[in-house]
Amino acid sequence: MIQFFHVYKQYFRSNEALSDINLSVERGEFIFLTGASGAGKSTLLKLIYKEEEPSKGQILIDSINSTLIPPGKLYKLRRQIGIVFQDFKLMMNRTVHENVAIPLLVRGDKKAAVEKKVNSTLALVGLSHRKRYLTSHISGGEQQRVAIARAVIGNPKILIADEPTGNLDTELSIEIIRILEKINARGITMIIATHDMNLINLFPKRIIKLDKGQLVLDKASEAV
Amino acid sequence: MKFMARAVQQALNNILRNKTVNFLCLGIIAFTLLVPGIFNYISFNLDSYISKLSENIEAIFYLREGDNSADIEKMLQRIQGNLLVKEVGFTSKDRAQMKFTQEFPELQYILAEFSDSPFPASINVKFRTDARNVVQIESFIRDIEKSSIIESVQLNLDWARKIAMIKKFASFAGFFLSAILLIVSIFIIFNVVKINIFYRRDEINILRLVGATDWYIKTPFLLEGLILGFLGGLLAGGLLLVTIRVFPVYAKFIFNIVKQLIDFRQLPLRIFWEMVITGSAIGLFSSFISLRRFIKTTPG
Repeated sequence: MIQFFHVYKQYFRSNEALSDINLSVERGEFIFLTGASGAGKSTLLKLIYKEEEPSKGQILIDSINSTLIPPGKLYKLRRQIGIVFQDFKLMMNRTVHENVAIPLLVRGDKKAAVEKKVNSTLALVGLSHRKRYLTSHISGGEQQRVAIARAVIGNPKILIADEPTGNLDTELSIEIIRILEKINARGITMIIATHDMNLINLFPKRIIKLDKGQLVLDKASEAV
Repeated sequence: MKFMARAVQQALNNILRNKTVNFLCLGIIAFTLLVPGIFNYISFNLDSYISKLSENIEAIFYLREGDNSADIEKMLQRIQGNLLVKEVGFTSKDRAQMKFTQEFPELQYILAEFSDSPFPASINVKFRTDARNVVQIESFIRDIEKSSIIESVQLNLDWARKIAMIKKFASFAGFFLSAILLIVSIFIIFNVVKINIFYRRDEINILRLVGATDWYIKTPFLLEGLILGFLGGLLAGGLLLVTIRVFPVYAKFIFNIVKQLIDFRQLPLRIFWEMVITGSAIGLFSSFISLRRFIKTTPG
């Protein structure tokens, strides 16, 4: 599903953010990507959804070399990947419904189909009662769930979440991971970046650990 | 269809969201279109006036004594065959004398001194009503003048030439001012779209990340420029009409001088639509340039 071959990333005039990364992620896997701040977690995720380009190496997404995708065709890749951002990246002046519907609207889906899909997705993340609320008027935990709903509504093959529990308390964090597990059960490949070891210990999944841009651990389904 | 409806809705929302900036922009576009519009209007009216005057452009070719009628007939055919010529007529020596007698009966005694008509035969030519052909008319006359049967030619094009000069000056001044103001206009719309892109940069980024195509993102901004330009053109057309109507009331002195040259009663539809189309084109072009400059399609 996702393969990294000797991937390097160096930002302009700075140290290497990623160094010689080799990894393979199978379809339907649930992975925690961990490491200290600045370890390169976000950079690795950005390479997957092509927000950044690798300085060296190849990345295959569903057998397609992502470095060869031209800018004009990038939307095709992005429609296969759902992304949950650390800062949510929601449109605060729009309703919950409007935010969740965006990935379907940009594809030109029909209004009735969009409505039906938004309702079922909001039910999945437990936000049906907030549908007509302005996003700025709901809590941080609820905003996080809106972001998850938006990421999964388009039936992506891959879901990427960058510190999805970073701003939440333990109870809410567990709730969010449980929602993500439910989504993963539908066959969506899941890569969750987090530095919360307690959370990782609670959910026995594959763990990939980065340290100063290097892959230092790739361990399957055990507590660290 | 759905895509366009959404893009138009989005563009209108953008315009209404930044009311102050957009209405200011609209005013400036209208003003920048109004100035060339005024010059275009003056030029249009002068053109009509020259056309009206040109209906009377007439040349009289006086013929040499003793020419035979075969040569005259040939010359008449040659003149008649030219596309610039509307009407051609021949006045014989006797006919010229008769006309003189009819027009100036009190001077008949002068003619008593002559045994034969003292007036030369002539060919009278009326030209078509297209003042842009003044140069061609002159060249045609010079050509005919070379003929051995022609003694001299009488033509008065001075007034048409002077009006044409004024029109040329008005067109040049209009073009020069228009060029400057249109550049200003493009710069303003460019910056308005830039501000709107900046205002919506997070939203644009989100749309890109959820898989929106470039056109899905860019179309509302393009339409925004188009709508602003279109409305600016409409406003400029309205302002020009008001200017035309108000001018005779508030500038009576100038009005009395120019009222023969300029028709203050109506605004030709052609000029109105030219302003609207120019405004729309400027709006579309400026936003296109702004988008190329400020919306990145490449990652990173």
